[in-house]
Amino acid sequence: MNHCVRIGAKLRHAFAIVGAVTAALLVGIASADALPSYARQTGQQCAACHNGFPELTPYGRLFKLNGYTFGGGQSDLPALAVMLQGVPSFTRTEGSQAGGAAPHYGPNNNFGALQSGSIFYGGAISSDLGIGAFAQATYDNVGRSFAWDNTDIRWAKSTTLGGETVFGVSLNNNPSLTDLWNSTPAWRFPFINSALAPAQQPTATMIESTYAQQVLGLNAYAMWNRLVYAEIGGYKTLSQGTDNALNGSTSTDAFQGVAPYWRLALQPQWGRSSFEIGTFGMAASIYPGRVYGFGTDHKTDIGFDAQYQFLTDQHSASLQASWITENQSLDASQAINSTNSNNHLRSLNIKTSYYYEQTYGATLGYFRIDGSGDPVLYGPGTSLNSANNSPNTTGWIMEADYIPFNHGGPDIWPWLNMKIGLQYIIYTKYAGAATNYDGNGRNASDNNTLFLFDWIAF
Amino acid sequence: MALRPDRPNGMRQSRPRIGWAIALPVVLVLAACNSGEPRSADPVVDGTVHVCSSCHGLDGRSINPTFPRLAGQQHDYIVAQLKAFRDHTRADPHAHTYMWGMAAELTDKTIDGLADYYSSQTPVAGTLSDPALMAAGKTIFTEGIADRQVPACAGCHGEKGAGVGSIPRLGGQHQSYIAEQLVNFASMARANEIMHDNSKNLTPEEIHQVAAYVGSL
Repeated sequence: MNHCVRIGAKLRHAFAIVGAVTAALLVGIASADALPSYARQTGQQCAACHNGFPELTPYGRLFKLNGYTFGGGQSDLPALAVMLQGVPSFTRTEGSQAGGAAPHYGPNNNFGALQSGSIFYGGAISSDLGIGAFAQATYDNVGRSFAWDNTDIRWAKSTTLGGETVFGVSLNNNPSLTDLWNSTPAWRFPFINSALAPAQQPTATMIESTYAQQVLGLNAYAMWNRLVYAEIGGYKTLSQGTDNALNGSTSTDAFQGVAPYWRLALQPQWGRSSFEIGTFGMAASIYPGRVYGFGTDHKTDIGFDAQYQFLTDQHSASLQASWITENQSLDASQAINSTNSNNHLRSLNIKTSYYYEQTYGATLGYFRIDGSGDPVLYGPGTSLNSANNSPNTTGWIMEADYIPFNHGGPDIWPWLNMKIGLQYIIYTKYAGAATNYDGNGRNASDNNTLFLFDWIAF
Repeated sequence: MALRPDRPNGMRQSRPRIGWAIALPVVLVLAACNSGEPRSADPVVDGTVHVCSSCHGLDGRSINPTFPRLAGQQHDYIVAQLKAFRDHTRADPHAHTYMWGMAAELTDKTIDGLADYYSSQTPVAGTLSDPALMAAGKTIFTEGIADRQVPACAGCHGEKGAGVGSIPRLGGQHQSYIAEQLVNFASMARANEIMHDNSKNLTPEEIHQVAAYVGSL
């Protein structure tokens, strides 16, 4: 029997077991007494776990590492939380978007009453068993669709193996979602983008949430002595039917078999400083657009990342950087669509933030994606519409944030948190050029975006 | 491993042994389940110490000065502080941010077990600081400041800052934590009549000096 099919069958069986166990546990939820649901669970202020929001402090990382089960709070409310993004928002681009920024919206200066709303289960499922979750479902009010969102259900246990060793298992739907640092794709800056502006990253490597919510993964991780972190996982794409039901989407890719994910990080800490350096990646064999009979594409992503945080009461500073290189062997895409046989894509992201009293923050970020030119993937008529057939996009993101309730919300609802932000993105290059990138006179700077938003969670 | 002819060439490197990659950590997990000393015979205390350690460090030897070292702290002092966090009578800013939540559900029995654990850990050795600061701090610590009614700290906290009963160990504690508590006492952000009287007449420089000295003990 083919080796791949054997592994696939074993993993399908494993997923079925985990799925059944998870469902059984969710039915018998223990009350989380003792997200804002995490604040209710621990009785602590948001700033204890978060630097600004949603970046994690060392304590927040340990909370996640240990399965979202730390308790201490006195709330009897279930571990549910609601988040509203862009409530309201204002988006202005330097050059208007002909035809409207999105259906039901104008070409520029768009005011949005609500960009998206999410409901979360966030917290312990069973503290005794060491099982907890971060599970999200989102209504996109611009795309007018409801879909499941980032989900991470994990079991964790701590023991001693020459030093404290925490190990765990996660069932999740997005490679790098399980990571503890804000330098890997799922949890990195920017934490919010306008849905009424051109895509800030018009093309991405596979591991940069390209398959978020289209896959289901089982990961195992361990952290030794709060210093060394290692994780491996295997992801499979959802069946077409399941994908349609959960995401409402149709033509997605399918993996052949299981796509492995790996992550290794070192985290030395001293005084008020926390530093991390690491590597991560994934590899997948892909049926593009679920078209069978032409073999598969194969993509391998290798990433390197680092993070530094210096956190005090009054002043907090952090820096995150990551660089991902992707090799694409496009046997199937070439046969089906005449793409190149081989492409490369690289993604660099760096940002630094400063927060005063965990309330007033400023962030500066730089992003750069560059890679092989390919007319079929990036040329005229594609979503990038590049006259140069190039994905290359470079720019800066600036953001100023006001988080009034990081130390506790109003008396009427102490777990309310809110971020009011002003974000400005400057493009020095877009889809291959600084000027006239689409052959119709649009410059990269026409996509410069000003985004004013309110973001609340309760 | 022989190349299988039905796979395209691109697949050659793409078959890591997923089964073993997941099985190996699981095997380690099962092997590890019975290793390591529990921190307490009481499983509630054992689990709670694990949570405490996320801020206070493994064995109470905290790295970050925001969170005090608990290793070798006086048993009765730990009990008093945890109860004060639980009933909110200790209300300095960090107490509110971190400890009110942590202590809210603690029973007296768990509090006692936590105090047993931390008081029996080996204290962290002192950290030397600027010699001039330490010398000035030593004078205040051992002699007090007579003309401003600042008593010698050693009178209650002991020559080596080890504390006794419900009077805390200061020796080896994070300097900036000690300084922060003296400021909190002086301003009554942390309510304690005796320590308020002892610290209200200290200048910021003298607080800095005393903290440097006790941190070195």
